[in-house]
Amino acid sequence: MVIQENMSVQRKLEILSDAAKYDVACTSSGVDRKGNGTSMGNSVAGGICHTFSADGRCISLLKVLYTNECIFDCKYCANRSSNDVVRASFTPQEISELTMEFYRRNYIEGLFLSSGILVSPNHTMELILEALRLLREVHHFNGYIHCKAIPGADPALIEMLGWYTDRMSVNLELPTADSLKELAPHKSRKNILKPIRQIQLGRKSNREFLGLPDHKQPPKKIITGHDDHDMKEIITTNTGLVPYQRKPVINRSFVPAGQSTQMIIGATQESDYQIMTVAEALYDNFDLKRVFYSAFMNVNQDTRLPSTEAGPPLLREHRLYQADWLLRFYGFQTMELLDEKHPNFNVLLDPKCDWALRHLELFPVEVNKADYYTLLRVPGIGTNSAQRIIMARKSVVLDFNDLKRMGIVLKRAIYFITCSGRMMYSIHIEENFITRQLIALKDQLPIGIDKSITYQQLSLFDDVNFQSDARNMVRMANI
Amino acid sequence: MITKRIYLCDDSIDGIFTAIYLAWSSRYGHSNIKIEEKSEGSKYSNIELFADYIVTDTDYTLADKVSKSIKDKISEEAYEMACGVALSDHQGKADLIYRFLILGFSVGSSITEHLSNEVVNQVFRVNKYVNNEAHHLFGFVRFSEQENGLLTSVIHPKNNVLTLITPHFADRLPQERFLIYDGNRKLATFHIPGNSWILAQVPEIDQARLDEITIKEDEYRDLWKAFFDHIAIKERINPKLQRNNLPLRFRGDMTEFQNTK
Repeated sequence: MVIQENMSVQRKLEILSDAAKYDVACTSSGVDRKGNGTSMGNSVAGGICHTFSADGRCISLLKVLYTNECIFDCKYCANRSSNDVVRASFTPQEISELTMEFYRRNYIEGLFLSSGILVSPNHTMELILEALRLLREVHHFNGYIHCKAIPGADPALIEMLGWYTDRMSVNLELPTADSLKELAPHKSRKNILKPIRQIQLGRKSNREFLGLPDHKQPPKKIITGHDDHDMKEIITTNTGLVPYQRKPVINRSFVPAGQSTQMIIGATQESDYQIMTVAEALYDNFDLKRVFYSAFMNVNQDTRLPSTEAGPPLLREHRLYQADWLLRFYGFQTMELLDEKHPNFNVLLDPKCDWALRHLELFPVEVNKADYYTLLRVPGIGTNSAQRIIMARKSVVLDFNDLKRMGIVLKRAIYFITCSGRMMYSIHIEENFITRQLIALKDQLPIGIDKSITYQQLSLFDDVNFQSDARNMVRMANI
Repeated sequence: MITKRIYLCDDSIDGIFTAIYLAWSSRYGHSNIKIEEKSEGSKYSNIELFADYIVTDTDYTLADKVSKSIKDKISEEAYEMACGVALSDHQGKADLIYRFLILGFSVGSSITEHLSNEVVNQVFRVNKYVNNEAHHLFGFVRFSEQENGLLTSVIHPKNNVLTLITPHFADRLPQERFLIYDGNRKLATFHIPGNSWILAQVPEIDQARLDEITIKEDEYRDLWKAFFDHIAIKERINPKLQRNNLPLRFRGDMTEFQNTK
């Protein structure tokens, strides 16, 4: 491994932001913190996007690796030890100064620090800790910090890191233990889940100590349908808990914005059902704030992995995010959306429409009477619309014109709702008819994703590739 | 037939409230009255025939009376929404506020629940539009550092959001001296550590001076541009999505889209 000496900060920044770009999370959300009048920084719960890069993704944080040197050899990673790439490392001083100066100019909302593994997990964590200590204790930085905990590092170091950061994340990398073993031979799932559990328990006891309410309902029992031995083991044994170390000098709460994780999708054989089950189990048992899904990109052109020459599986990633939203805000459960028989999401319809079409017996819903969660299950009605309906119907009986005026998008909803007992048009509630209507609405996908589906001109002589069941097309689009 | 009266007011919260006070107290009948801003540069002015035009001058005592009654008799929230509309570039905003208040004074604090009412809905929509732009600018404002350590920023927002965004920066950067200049309205806010920020009219600023406060070269500009270019994933390049999230109109004032001389 050749390390170039005297590399300029600019060159390092180029290399290490290049190396960090595949990390999905760049959110600065989850904590509301006013400025304290003396030091620099505050934080807004909703998060703030500072700019959008050429790929259209939000840039909120200075997202860099501490180093792209790595002793691990994960097959999917551009920084794996077997790759011949230029390696660079920041120093704690460089990281903290870059963050402060960028923050002053309002380029960023804070720092997102991740890292390859230099020498050993503990060694790397100590360097990262030093960078954060400089920021928080020397520069008195009060902005947002998101930091990766490195699996396998000493629990005492992870705990210390928690006192400096707002959000922490440990990447699950791949949905199942088997694929992890296959693609990331140096990582073990238990080693990944342990710090997640540690941070969860640390947050819990810190919240109790501060007298903050336990915002989550009691954890459900482990999700059935997928027996995940590692998860079970980690949850049932409370190992990994360290007695409180000396706290840093500054007075902060422990990981106030919670933790997140991310999974690579499309590199291994898991179905959407398996992925969503894992995500749901993480939300339920580990109190995660977010699970991110990252469409696999074969950056190493590794022949043992699926090719992504036709572009990464963006549509699949999009469907997973849609379903993730349904889990977190709409009161859905994975088993309602997918099951062993239908393990993948429909390419043509979003998960909610797909669900509604399979449950037409529950519709139509009366807008003036239905409760919040019933309204949320109507395709085309989101959290904003449902809230608006509930507020507006306090003073009047709503009709379709009112809904239109309130900015509620009716093109999907009209098949599923009534106002004062009447539908907007006389519609025959019949699965095939409504499916056709919904598929004809072309605005379902965010900009740029449609290119991943290859539409074909229908012809009279169409012999192959014509599948009667839309669900079969999932595989086609996910290649 | 009663001749319609059109009250012309200054384009400011106080100006609009003054006209509302005068219109209301004239007891001429709400349906016979319209309030319009003295559209400077005649953005959309259309002189109506058969109407009496009454030009009003901002009177802060009258405006205060209106503010106070809104807060007392309707709600703090309704007051904020009325101000939101006043800061917007919405056509006919003065009359919209007037209609909103007529309704508000009759139903009281529950006015903000009447989402299906056309006027209330419009007020909500305009507020959302203004707040969205303000929220965008929380992120899109770029400061340049001058030799004396002063941070300067120039923005060109559609709505008059300067007073909405400055408190955020004053809270965030309490130890910095900074200036944010609204190039469309020739307004600026200043912040000095230890003091509350102030809003001031800046009559004329010459181009050279403007460039100086917009683009001041320093090493962190280059570092930021380098970061910005390298963080994009080239397999996912998507200019349409980028434009959707970050409209072109903001980019002129943003470091990462400015060319180095």
